[in-house]
Amino acid sequence: MLAEVPSATLLGVEGHRVLVEVHVGQGLPGFTVVGLPDASCREARDRVRAAILSSKLKWPDTRITVNLAPTHVRKVGSGLDLAIAIALLGASKQLKAEAFRGLAFFGELGLNGTLRPILGVLPLVDALHGGRVVVPVDNLDEARLVRKDALGVSSLSQLVSVLTNEEAWPNPPLQEHEIAEGGDSCDLAEVQGHPVARRALEVAATGGHHVLMVGPPGSGKTMLAERLPSLLPNLDARGAMDVSRVHSAAGLLRMRNGLLRRPPFRSPHHTASLVALIGGGSTLLRPGEVSLASGGVLFLDELGEFPAAHLDALRQPLESGIIRVARANTNVTLPARFLLVAATNPCPCGIGQWGECRCTPGQIARYGRRLSSPLLDRFDIRLAVDPPEPAMVFASQRSGESSSEVRSRVELARLRASERGVTSNRELRGEALEKFAPISEQGQKLLRSRLESGSLSMRGAQRTRAVALTLRDLEGTGGPITTDDLEGALLLRGEEQQIGVVA
Amino acid sequence: MTDSTGLPQPTTALPHEAYLTALASLDQVGPARLRWLLSYGSPELVWQLLRAGKVCDPPAQLAVKAEQLNKWVAEANLLNPQELWNKCCALGVGVLALGSAGYPPSLALDLDPPVVLFHLGNPDLISAPSVAIVGTRRATGYGLRVAEELGAGLAQAGVMVVSGLALGIDAAAHAGSLSVGPSGAAVAAVVGAGLDAPCPVRNRKLAQKVAAAGVIFSEVPPYVQAAPWRFPVRNRILAALADVVVVVESAGAGGSMHTVKEALARDIPIMSVPGPIDSRASEGTNRLLSDGAEPCLGVDDILMALGLSNIVRGSPNKRKLEAPLEQRPAPNEAGQRALAAIGWRPVSVEHLGLRSGLEFSQLASTLSWLETHGWIQRTGGWIERCARGD
Repeated sequence: MLAEVPSATLLGVEGHRVLVEVHVGQGLPGFTVVGLPDASCREARDRVRAAILSSKLKWPDTRITVNLAPTHVRKVGSGLDLAIAIALLGASKQLKAEAFRGLAFFGELGLNGTLRPILGVLPLVDALHGGRVVVPVDNLDEARLVRKDALGVSSLSQLVSVLTNEEAWPNPPLQEHEIAEGGDSCDLAEVQGHPVARRALEVAATGGHHVLMVGPPGSGKTMLAERLPSLLPNLDARGAMDVSRVHSAAGLLRMRNGLLRRPPFRSPHHTASLVALIGGGSTLLRPGEVSLASGGVLFLDELGEFPAAHLDALRQPLESGIIRVARANTNVTLPARFLLVAATNPCPCGIGQWGECRCTPGQIARYGRRLSSPLLDRFDIRLAVDPPEPAMVFASQRSGESSSEVRSRVELARLRASERGVTSNRELRGEALEKFAPISEQGQKLLRSRLESGSLSMRGAQRTRAVALTLRDLEGTGGPITTDDLEGALLLRGEEQQIGVVA
Repeated sequence: MTDSTGLPQPTTALPHEAYLTALASLDQVGPARLRWLLSYGSPELVWQLLRAGKVCDPPAQLAVKAEQLNKWVAEANLLNPQELWNKCCALGVGVLALGSAGYPPSLALDLDPPVVLFHLGNPDLISAPSVAIVGTRRATGYGLRVAEELGAGLAQAGVMVVSGLALGIDAAAHAGSLSVGPSGAAVAAVVGAGLDAPCPVRNRKLAQKVAAAGVIFSEVPPYVQAAPWRFPVRNRILAALADVVVVVESAGAGGSMHTVKEALARDIPIMSVPGPIDSRASEGTNRLLSDGAEPCLGVDDILMALGLSNIVRGSPNKRKLEAPLEQRPAPNEAGQRALAAIGWRPVSVEHLGLRSGLEFSQLASTLSWLETHGWIQRTGGWIERCARGD
């Protein structure tokens, strides 16, 4: 009269193993689900009952108790429906225990018994060790990314016939997914002019340096930012799994593409809520935009329009590459290792030509104050982006390098960085910088003079050094950092204060 | 009672300056309306009449509506002149009425003298000769540098610099004048706001220094809310205090041009600092030059206009203007290309890269060299060419 079936529930981007126990016994007819189910999980009662009846199976008119163990973990969503149904059929002796031994079940049931796809199959399946998994057929491709032997069924009645050996397991062919090359929709070759910004993007892609673009509307900030992912190399196997896991948990994994191999690009609007940006919510703890951008690029357009609290919430993930979302009864750690690209106007009126701005000094000062200096400090590259002069656009129809050309340089340079034991030069600090980024004598003189003149802070010098190292990596000839590298890094770093300086 | 410097002394019997302050503190009262109100008699009498609602029939050109009059009556019944007076005392703000002993003579003889003048610092320091240095708040590096040099040069020559304590040219002129230290001439400022907050916050320190080394005037009583219309009105005081008005940088229209108009009405010579013809900030000054204003090519030109220099323009023994001796090392070919591409107008790095056609690394090292050697300076994302090294 007792049966148990393994399944899993989703918290953040991690699956947690759940054992579904069903007891069918003497007593008044009734159906209770215990073990901290949330509302959508408790609704499983009605779905399971209807699905069993419409699949021409018997509903036991006795006391039914479903327990979801461990009972202290909150169970969210409809993914446990199928496991409950199978355990119930086992407990009511309609299925033999041997029939489903060693199998784990996932899937939402329709009232007519069909199986519907669920969120986060990838992390859910990954959470189970040993045994085979049965998932809705629509989730099969996703499940097979981690479990080649995953099984897919389309309805409860089909599953019951298979388990009672009336039918064989349906076996759709395993699809091999090619890495989609050129999957990026835009190319750097389409960018006219912007010689400095192009170089800046290349450096950002190589060293993982965060970029702040300051410029009037229409100067090409968004266009440039959208092309940054196309300069990033393909994700390696582990990176692809991590990114796919997050996208799966958010329900964004497109099944046909298999594992996500290209770095993601997310550009949330400035009205996004704090939870949408950072992740959370009271039950599901869904990954936010920063986690979805993990492994790729997070683009914040109109940085100054984001509420200050939201921007300051980005400081932890920018520092540590993860975000901890804590709620009263749970806390999860979400990945947030993204390359931040932000764009802002120089002033409220946004007219970028020298002398054309009509903002009052007070307005400009207020605008500048919206961005806290600890946040601005995180940007190693600060670009003043200007719309190209019309004469220049038509004079130089010659298009620049394409993304793939730049990307091949980036890949080579990243190899050098990976020898240092970090994924990007951005992460080098203090002693590691001393060790890996020696500076030529001339270069030291240059840095010293900048420090003495006060145009560079101590922290600024460190960051300049890291960017210079990236420039050295791109050069590819090795050796200590030269004055050329430092000068390039200084040019990319720009002035400490850019917003609100418009004349 | 007030002593000769006009510093208020808290007394039991209110001086008539207290009632003047109260009248000037009324909503939307400027110099013209104040003069009309005073046509009824002494400030104290006007105050009592106003409280009783017996002030009526304003002249049409003052455009005082009936509601405005009612508002004044209400305000007069709420305001306590004693309180206002105590506030002035607490701030250390002096009050000078037209005709009183300490009132600056150059203003007393003006076309449109302020009926009441509030001041911080010592108004006795006002002495001929004085020069008003005015200009735009959106100044370029060039304008700021010139204003500062002129301010310092004039202070050294014993000429008082008068300006408006605004951002940009005004602040640079004051700073230059103060940089000479106690050996230089006094400094004066005329502001359009109440003396509790005479200037933008960024200039607050500067204002304290001006008050310590000279005087700040305002026609507006302290704690009266600043209003845009008060700034053009104060420009006439600025012009009236000066023997020469120098415009350093100004767009085609703006506060500086208003000061020029006021100066013209008073037959005060106007001098203009030439600038690049394609610079927006020099549009107004270059226009003034073509309209016949005296060019100001340095401190000597201003001293000459004041009659303080016996060197006649064009005479062989004329002291040379500061020799434009180039002490900076000559830039290399790439540097020259970059300088040519910058021109005389601030430009962004991005445009510079396009215009000069220099590769990124070359551009970076060229700019770094030019900046180190004083050929260019950077403000925010902008790169600006410097005409002279420091």
